[in-house]
Amino acid sequence: MSTLRRAGVLFLFFLFVTQSAFAAARSWEMDKAHSNIYFSIDHIFSKVHGLFNEFTAEVNFDPANLAESKFAFAIKTDSVNTNIAKRDKHLQSADFFDAAKYPEMTFVSETITDAGNGLYQVAGKLTIKGESYDLTLPLKLAGIKDHPAAKGKEVIGFNGSVILDRLAHKVGTGKFYDMGVVGKDVDVLVTLELLADK
Amino acid sequence: MNTGKITTGPFPDGRRNLYRILAILVFVLCIAGALSVPFYFETQTLWYKMGSDKTMLRTGQLAGMLALVFLFVQITLALRSRFLERLFTAASLLRWHRINGLFIGLLAVSHVLLVLVPEGLSNLPFGKKHWPEMVGMLLFSILLPMIAASHFRQKLKLDYHRWKAVHRVLGYLVVLLVTIHALYVSESFEHESLQIALLALFGALLVQVVIVKRLFDASSGQRTNGHSG
Repeated sequence: MSTLRRAGVLFLFFLFVTQSAFAAARSWEMDKAHSNIYFSIDHIFSKVHGLFNEFTAEVNFDPANLAESKFAFAIKTDSVNTNIAKRDKHLQSADFFDAAKYPEMTFVSETITDAGNGLYQVAGKLTIKGESYDLTLPLKLAGIKDHPAAKGKEVIGFNGSVILDRLAHKVGTGKFYDMGVVGKDVDVLVTLELLADK
Repeated sequence: MNTGKITTGPFPDGRRNLYRILAILVFVLCIAGALSVPFYFETQTLWYKMGSDKTMLRTGQLAGMLALVFLFVQITLALRSRFLERLFTAASLLRWHRINGLFIGLLAVSHVLLVLVPEGLSNLPFGKKHWPEMVGMLLFSILLPMIAASHFRQKLKLDYHRWKAVHRVLGYLVVLLVTIHALYVSESFEHESLQIALLALFGALLVQVVIVKRLFDASSGQRTNGHSG
């Protein structure tokens, strides 16, 4: 084998290896109608439920390639919806999210680990009001299958919940917590359906 | 210029003063009732405001309630029913109408600022789900130019008849808008008793407009129009 031919084979081998190692995990597109970020928080004795109407999710996920899998969420803070317009406006004010100054909250994963039984620990950075915090979001893979209603598509589902201390993330100064009106622990439920071509 | 003469003859001695006192009493009662609303039917929004924010919001609500009463009174004054003319003279009704208009403007500006500042001026209630607040913004954007145009009509060289026609239509429109705004923007007006009271006042005003308009049309030759321009 000539030196030139040997170099060519080595180059192709190198190309194949690097392509395999750095190939992005499968990209999934969020089904907005069936994906939500819900929350609930204590109010004196009851629980107030709400959701964010506007958010985006960029998801690359392949159970066999977790190193290249990724979750990135961007949530519009002024889309908070608790079914009472005046309360939503108050949540958008400087008393809570300060939506005019901080229009987005983001979560970007850094590592994903398989915890078994379909559970994935998605560790990353949560950015609220301009400050970033470490957060691990446990997401349970609900399944992957052909979409029952959309031909040529596959659907993947994830559900996960996490409790966030809103005061540790500076969502509120604590005055309503000290009054015993609004709790500090927020139950966050992430429920996703994502689609990809087969 | 209207001379201020009593157009249909005075009431019998003594009765005029009694009716005057009664009319003023009704006006004072309406104001007192309106001012009691933010206290007696306190909104939940006030519960979650503290310190100066709470004071500002409550004062803003008081200004809004006063503006509402003054707007209803404004239409009553503009209609110049014979009964009121006989009690107070057409000239004084017109004078009161002008002064009242300026008060409405001041109260509207105070209401808007005092209600919006505690929630943050960068956090204005725009969008479909805040439609009652947006009705208020529309009302405000009609009201201020209307007051300014009336106050500076001569300086602005506005044709009297054209101005009057527009002023009359907008006057009815703002009363309709303020009723809708109050009924749907305020948690206080979620109480049935207040809804009934406001709708009754609106209905009474509507009846007054229809009746006085009919009487006015029937005897339009006899009435002065207060044209001073």
